[in-house]
Amino acid sequence: MEKQVQEIELMNEEAVKRALTRITYEIIEKNKGVEDLVILGIKTRGVYLAHRIAQRMEQLEGRPVEVAELDISNYRDDQQSLASAHKPDLNCTVQGKKVVIVDDVLYTGRTIRAALDAIIDQGRPKRIYLAVLIDRGHRELPIRADFIGKNIPTSSEEDIKVSLTDIDEKDRVTIHKPTQ
Amino acid sequence: MKRRMLVLEDGNVFKGYGFGSEKETIGEVVFNTGMTGYQESITDQSYNGQLLTFTYPLIGNAGINRDDYESIFPTIKAVIVKEFARVPSNWRSQMNLDECLKEKGIPGLTGVDTRRLTRVIREHGAMKALLTDTDSSIEECLQRVRSKKLPTNQVAQVSTTRPYVSPQNGRKVVVIDFGLKHSILHELNKRACHVMVLPFDTSAETILNLNPDGVMLTNGPGDPTDLPDVIEMIKELQPQIPIFGICLGHQLLALANGAKTYKMDFGHRGFNHPVREIATGKIAFTSQNHGYAVAADSVDPKRLSVTHVEINDGTVEGLKHRAYPVFSVQYHPDAAPGPHDAADLFDQFIEVMDAQKAGMIHA
Repeated sequence: MEKQVQEIELMNEEAVKRALTRITYEIIEKNKGVEDLVILGIKTRGVYLAHRIAQRMEQLEGRPVEVAELDISNYRDDQQSLASAHKPDLNCTVQGKKVVIVDDVLYTGRTIRAALDAIIDQGRPKRIYLAVLIDRGHRELPIRADFIGKNIPTSSEEDIKVSLTDIDEKDRVTIHKPTQ
Repeated sequence: MKRRMLVLEDGNVFKGYGFGSEKETIGEVVFNTGMTGYQESITDQSYNGQLLTFTYPLIGNAGINRDDYESIFPTIKAVIVKEFARVPSNWRSQMNLDECLKEKGIPGLTGVDTRRLTRVIREHGAMKALLTDTDSSIEECLQRVRSKKLPTNQVAQVSTTRPYVSPQNGRKVVVIDFGLKHSILHELNKRACHVMVLPFDTSAETILNLNPDGVMLTNGPGDPTDLPDVIEMIKELQPQIPIFGICLGHQLLALANGAKTYKMDFGHRGFNHPVREIATGKIAFTSQNHGYAVAADSVDPKRLSVTHVEINDGTVEGLKHRAYPVFSVQYHPDAAPGPHDAADLFDQFIEVMDAQKAGMIHA
């Protein structure tokens, strides 16, 4: 029997926009401003989200905020790693800074673990925050987000897809449920 | 119809015909630029003590229906129009404007040049005026207008005297009533909020003892600096609970955080005020009704961020506290009447309350 998938929209364009604006405000609340902040987006969609958050901050605070991309492929724990051989080039220093890691979906926490390793290989930040658009649960590591767009309790058969206009058709978050 | 006239503080006299109630009345004369939504405006308690001029020339053509009241006992002083529709045409209409004003005891004035009246207000600022029969002497009227001291306890006049509940199953929200519009309750109920409406002079302690998820400060009439006790109450609440303020609530929140307010020359009253959200650059058309505003240069950037500005004159239209989940807008996101561009601020309030709750569990 062919497996059918049911797709449900959890967040539309407005909701994504609102969540990112709220996360921006929350980061400013918690950090008491944008002093020493570095926004690090995890490839691929985390990068676009990081840019959107940084842009909001710049418009609110009237000063530039540092943004960079983080490629964690060499730090993954599910493949033979060449980590020490290939340190990612961040184009920015994290030493003494307050780093905000940005990703689209927080699931097992393994990506974030890899991101933490990648950052710490570059220096010793004063503090690391985690901002995600979606927290879908099912952590396999003791990791949690500081800023969450939306909590979505899921089962592990379900799939969460974040689409962003930068690379997809439009801004939306959908859940894909297998049906018999 | 009876000849009646409007005598302005500056000596201008506008003669027309009376409709609605035949009472004599003194108040502040203001104008609204909306083309529709007269029923909501007339019953909006933010117009307490004011004589409201509609700049749109024909008012009342959709009649008065049972759905669009924003309060049960409106306290607006008078309605001034170029022309009112005697025979309304709308499937929801239950009565015409004249009958409604008679029933609510609100005097009306029709047949005046509302464009000229508006120009006078724009030039001289909102001012006091007397609506009376034409047989009175103008000198005597002028003297009465000029010597009249307008009340400063407007919020006390329109706030509920007893607490009440607008129930739903869901988040618990306390609404502090400074003259609330029913549409605020609609919007909160629609989003499954159990709403507890409390009088304006409720203490912070009473509010906190109810353990709400969030507090909403409503719109209302008058000068926010007339409410020093409320400002103290907000100071006590804001470190402990998410707050969403609109209109007068926005001004009170600003005052509680060291900013200042001022009386605008002729205010913002209408439904087509463009407002920019600074974070995203997005522009929304908003419904507004305010005669006071927050002074931009008085906002302490260490305590508050300006989040929204009016495009035409740069008025501060939105604020966010720097350290707490506390935010406000000067306009009416409930959009009754007006465009629905800003309705998602209620969703934002819900999401802020949820985020705060989730955060408390983690911490």
